[in-house]
Amino acid sequence: MSRSIRAAALALGLALVAAGCGGSDTASSSDGGGGAKDDGTFTAGFIYVGPKDDFGYNQAAYEGSLAMKEAVGDVELLQAENVPETAESEQVMQNMIDKGADVIFATSYGHLEFAQNVAEKNPDVIFVHQGGLEGDNQLDNVGTYFGTVYEPVYLAGIAAGATSETGKLGYVYAFPIPQTLANINAFALGAQSVNPKATVTTISTGSWCDPSVQSQAVKTLLDQDVDVITQHQDCTKTIIEATEAAGAYSVGYHADASELAPKGWITGSEWNWGPLYTDIVETVKAGEFAESDYNGDFRVGLQTGDNPFVQSAYGSMVDDETKAKIDEAKQRFVDGGSPFEGPVLDQDGKEVYAEGEQPTYAEVETMDFFVKGVVGKIG
Amino acid sequence: MIEAVLTGAVAGGTCIVFAGLGEIVAERSGVINLGTEGSMLCGALAAYAVGIETGSPWVGVVAGLVAGAVLACVHAVLVLHRGANQIAVGLVVSFLGIGVTALFGQDYVGQGVVPLETWDVPLLSKLPFLGPVLFQHDPLTYVSFLAVPALTWMIWRTRAGLVLRAAGEGPEVLEIYGTSARRVRWVALLTGGALAGVGGAQLATAATLNWSEQMTVGRGYVAVALVIFAGWQPIKLAGGAYLFAGAIALNLQLQARGWELSRYLLEALPYVTVLVVLALLSRRRIHGGPAALEKVFEG
Amino acid sequence: MTVLETTSDVEPEAPVPPGPEADDHHVAPTAAAQVQRHLRTALRWAVVIASTVAIFSAFLLAKGADPASVLESMWKTALGTPDSAGETFIRATPLLLAALAAAVPARAGLFNLGGEGQLLMGAIGAILVANQLDGGAGTWPTLVLMAAGGAALGALWAAIPAVLKVATRTNEAISSLLLNYIAGLVVTWLCFEPWKDPASLGQAYSRELTGPERFPIIWGQRVHAGIFVGLVAALVLWALLRWSTWGFKLRVLGGNPSAARRAGLAVGGLSIAAMVVGGAMAGLGGMIEVAGTEGRLRPELLAGYGFIGFLASWLARHDPLRCIGAAVVLGAIAVGGSGLKITAGLSGGAVNILMAVVLLAVLGWGGRKAEAAR
Repeated sequence: MSRSIRAAALALGLALVAAGCGGSDTASSSDGGGGAKDDGTFTAGFIYVGPKDDFGYNQAAYEGSLAMKEAVGDVELLQAENVPETAESEQVMQNMIDKGADVIFATSYGHLEFAQNVAEKNPDVIFVHQGGLEGDNQLDNVGTYFGTVYEPVYLAGIAAGATSETGKLGYVYAFPIPQTLANINAFALGAQSVNPKATVTTISTGSWCDPSVQSQAVKTLLDQDVDVITQHQDCTKTIIEATEAAGAYSVGYHADASELAPKGWITGSEWNWGPLYTDIVETVKAGEFAESDYNGDFRVGLQTGDNPFVQSAYGSMVDDETKAKIDEAKQRFVDGGSPFEGPVLDQDGKEVYAEGEQPTYAEVETMDFFVKGVVGKIG
Repeated sequence: MIEAVLTGAVAGGTCIVFAGLGEIVAERSGVINLGTEGSMLCGALAAYAVGIETGSPWVGVVAGLVAGAVLACVHAVLVLHRGANQIAVGLVVSFLGIGVTALFGQDYVGQGVVPLETWDVPLLSKLPFLGPVLFQHDPLTYVSFLAVPALTWMIWRTRAGLVLRAAGEGPEVLEIYGTSARRVRWVALLTGGALAGVGGAQLATAATLNWSEQMTVGRGYVAVALVIFAGWQPIKLAGGAYLFAGAIALNLQLQARGWELSRYLLEALPYVTVLVVLALLSRRRIHGGPAALEKVFEG
Repeated sequence: MTVLETTSDVEPEAPVPPGPEADDHHVAPTAAAQVQRHLRTALRWAVVIASTVAIFSAFLLAKGADPASVLESMWKTALGTPDSAGETFIRATPLLLAALAAAVPARAGLFNLGGEGQLLMGAIGAILVANQLDGGAGTWPTLVLMAAGGAALGALWAAIPAVLKVATRTNEAISSLLLNYIAGLVVTWLCFEPWKDPASLGQAYSRELTGPERFPIIWGQRVHAGIFVGLVAALVLWALLRWSTWGFKLRVLGGNPSAARRAGLAVGGLSIAAMVVGGAMAGLGGMIEVAGTEGRLRPELLAGYGFIGFLASWLARHDPLRCIGAAVVLGAIAVGGSGLKITAGLSGGAVNILMAVVLLAVLGWGGRKAEAAR
């Protein structure tokens, strides 16, 4: 048995020796290079929570990074996918910094706290987080950015409400995070603006990607006379295919999937991160991050004119009257209105936002209720 | 609602039925294979990718079958020729399957595959209740219906079945037949992997028309659990798979009906159900399992 | 099922579980023999490493990546700098405890595939205690109580399959595996519902553990004192298994259950104890992770660690001290995996291949020795 002690000690010793040797290595390399900053290349790191080719959220961000590189030109990219929303992500971000990253885009909601932790230790590196709110931990090298995804979702809701024959819409989602709840509510309110009796039946799959459960969820919704289905999942294909096969209508999310549903595609919400990423990188490159709006909770929407979320193309069933209504609502948002402008009632009929009242960005992004007409339970 | 839950049970359970039948064959020969999860993933990706490249879903299914069997080879070599522990190797083989499919599946995410279309059985699909539950599915589902009695018959009524059981019960008896347990187990493991691959193929090209990383989400492990739950009987295995998928379908149905039940509780339902039934049934099965398999567990 | 009754215990093809001592010869070793044996061990590891690198490189080439740069980047990420080595140790700690969670039951011939769920339950137990104390105790009392809470809940979670095994002969590998999914749902529920941090601005996680609820940082910026808890646990277990009567009984049970029964050992009690001690180890691991690295309960906490820990235990042939080395090796591969992602743009899942190949090489080799011994 003493052998095993030696074996373990040997393994540990080797690891330590390796660590020691490696240590001197980096000491010299950081003397010489100090990361990529000194040798002139500008490097942007991107971390994604899922596979960067998931045809959904992560792919949209990944494509945004490529568009940014295309536009900026003189920038190196570091990419890491499948980075969990745990302290492991700190190590990945630190690793990117060791490889010379000057700015890091933490693209998943749950990466925020870790980005803040790493940012505290690396004041020279800029961190921008997609979708979170900084809260009390305001750092000069951290900012968050996001668009108002619920605006195009509301507009799609109008199209869905006008198209639905049964007045019953379906929403397949993963977890009751605020972004999802806001989307579901916006979708319901949009539909109700053209069909006051419209309801949205929700099903949680308990997973960002479990195609088998997704296809079941679609069938279940169809059983309930639902005839328009939309979703907030990372892999979207199964739901659209199953909806199309059943002859029902689809509203897309993340990407234009109209080719998957030539008959039933109504419209959808897509992402277009490129311009925003480009501007953030240009700002950081110019050394102007600290003074810029990006150093904080930066939000764009229809009102500011550069929402990274855009409407997908319409299907043939969306008539001109509906399109006019959508344009009208869109103009309202451009002029400062909100999809959640009161009166808004919750599921039990209790008033959440009074007549004329509008929630702030922060309130929308911490939303924790369903509006009236949504079928389902959050907990 | 009962009809909808049962329909969902069959639709969601079919891939598990295939994987579980494969596992029954493997375990009847005396080898447990936790690599089923990996074989399902390999089957799913191979079927999807080959389906896209050739435009034929059936060629895809064959590819899935082969891919599942190829991964099972790794298990077979290590367990049968190197005497490595079955449980540990099985788990590692699943890791390997997850890794390989993650690496090579990247290019196929979001690509469209020619689906294995739903085919309503003439006349039978018109039956009330039974029609939608049993006879409005994809062809592989009907294959699974036939595979259950076929495998039962094979195990109990054919020479091959006798040899298979002999490998699991008392390998020395095999000498009489002039064969070795190792050879039988090789065939059993390959068959098992192939069936798991078909299960994966059904999941990707018929049930979901999708490929994504780790899309089986643990169903391969569930299949292994169900085999023991089913006492190595194909018919009970099918029952278990439908029970598991039925619990998922029930969860979705109750959500869509606006039931005020905790969705976390509902999500736990399939696992709790299997665990409870497993515990209740286990006592009766003291001598139910193949003897060689018991040795794996009892040391 | 009883068509072919057999009474024989001898079964040529049945794999023999490689016991902890499978390759130890019971002959007084001469110095020369010892050197030879060391050489053989070294050679064996060299072959394992070389074949692993070769196979993994083949996969990378098939995918069109450059193996040399990928491997170099992985090495640098995992052990290249003091900080990255620190990361490897941080990552190895929960893996080590998950490995111990599998190793102790394995000594008694039991398969604990429930490390994943037991880790999570340990994290829950620790936070439960922290919430009760509410900062009312000093650092060490708080941490000790949290560790106790974590170990207790981990033990309880492991007791379920153990009791089912003894009472109804339910297969413990399967029941502990199923319990992982249920534990995961409990964590998700806690994060989204009762324990959701009111200050989280919508994020689903529990409140942050602070002050006395956290292990002090001992080196660099993230290496915390919790890693010593893991090392001490491994040492204590090693000593217990090696020298205590209990450890001896477990070995007897694991080696030959029917002999153990004939010898009058309380097989049921021993089995439960082995699982419970294993569960306590995993529970401790969950506690260390939340009190050391994570600081909160999160839905994705420790995903996959239980399974990797189980495999680490097999890599170490269930020897607690070797588990340390195995956890470090697998931890390094996991940490190196992020280097692979960043440099080669490969799917992070690809690192599973490397881990699998290492384990297959080791398992395959260990098995042959056991076979040869017969």
